[in-house]
Amino acid sequence: MKDRPAKIVCLFVFLALANSARLCAQAGANAVVAKATNAVVSVPLPAATNAAPVAQPVKPHPLTLIESDGPADFDLGGREVVYHDHVRVDSPEMKLSCEWLAADVPQDGGHVTNIVAETNVVIDATDDKGQKLHATGARAVYVYAVQNGATNETVTLTGSARVEYAQDVLTGDVINWDRAHNHLSVPNNPKMIIHENFNSPAAGANSPPATNPPANMTNLSPAFHRSAVDTNFPPAKSELVPERHDPLLDH
Amino acid sequence: MRHVTLRATCHLSLVTPLLAAGTVLFSAIPDGRTQPNGVQHASDFTSVEYFEPPHQQQMKSRLSGAEAQPQAGGLLVIRQLKLETFNPDGKSEIIVNAPECVYDTFNRVASSPGHLQAQTGDGKFRVEGDGFLWRQNDSFLTISNHVQTVIENAMK
Repeated sequence: MKDRPAKIVCLFVFLALANSARLCAQAGANAVVAKATNAVVSVPLPAATNAAPVAQPVKPHPLTLIESDGPADFDLGGREVVYHDHVRVDSPEMKLSCEWLAADVPQDGGHVTNIVAETNVVIDATDDKGQKLHATGARAVYVYAVQNGATNETVTLTGSARVEYAQDVLTGDVINWDRAHNHLSVPNNPKMIIHENFNSPAAGANSPPATNPPANMTNLSPAFHRSAVDTNFPPAKSELVPERHDPLLDH
Repeated sequence: MRHVTLRATCHLSLVTPLLAAGTVLFSAIPDGRTQPNGVQHASDFTSVEYFEPPHQQQMKSRLSGAEAQPQAGGLLVIRQLKLETFNPDGKSEIIVNAPECVYDTFNRVASSPGHLQAQTGDGKFRVEGDGFLWRQNDSFLTISNHVQTVIENAMK
């Protein structure tokens, strides 16, 4: 509870940086690294999954293809399958590769509820607006559940977790991707790398020179030196990152 | 609880206790080709296993084949293998098809270097590959190579 102001400030810092990055993003951009230890970075992705319901045409059943170079073990009693060696998962909205993958076998035509992928996990996804997401990590855990009519669908990345979305890079000990709400959060040790074009006139006079991009937080301009805990950003709304209710901050 | 029945398609002559393990009854229908070890070739056979009480009337699994060629050591070479498993309500769970396999009647293990297809009863989880080992006792299937799984509605 006492961390909430810091979390909120951190979020506003991130939103401001993200907004600035998007406004200035062009080819040949430089990198800005923002690190906020022991804070939460929360990134609502601009997708339409929690927008007002719109009547959609009936789609054919989406197919997910799983292939592996090595053997696959099916425990039909426990309804679990384990794939070995260069495992590839190809679904309409997400591709995944890893070296080992376990999944449950759905019952009665149901949804796969648990997937664990390990070793060299690479995920490529595209959201409803065609924006690509590239994620890597040592381990990824996918969980799908419906409770009280609400769908929870999450992917938790651990082990050098890294997510590239739009032109930004997010790293952390753990990265939670809430697929149901298209939302990224980093509960611990988050780091954000924003690609920003400092040659752009919109970058402003406080931008560092383009030929010497800052490598970390200490090389940032004074404007970027404001940390998550000592900055009192006004609660401005981001134009490009829609404001959303964030359950991670609501406690 | 398990027994094996053979449905005759042509030649019917004798009943041979072929599948061991005491609880197994195997009715063989020789078709005139006598094997070196004296065991007869059989066709269109079905092996059914039932649940323990109180579901003893419900099939747990059904192993069937177009042909069974007995070998030494309690082995059967089965062509057009079809294995089905059911839940206690009688609903089909898994259906496995393979052109050919060797079934170890003592250890209740089927294996083959050949192709295998399997799917859930509703057909929404399908898998195939080359080379497999099926352990009937614990319903464990290993597919060795070229494993491909297709799942309907697996993820959004």
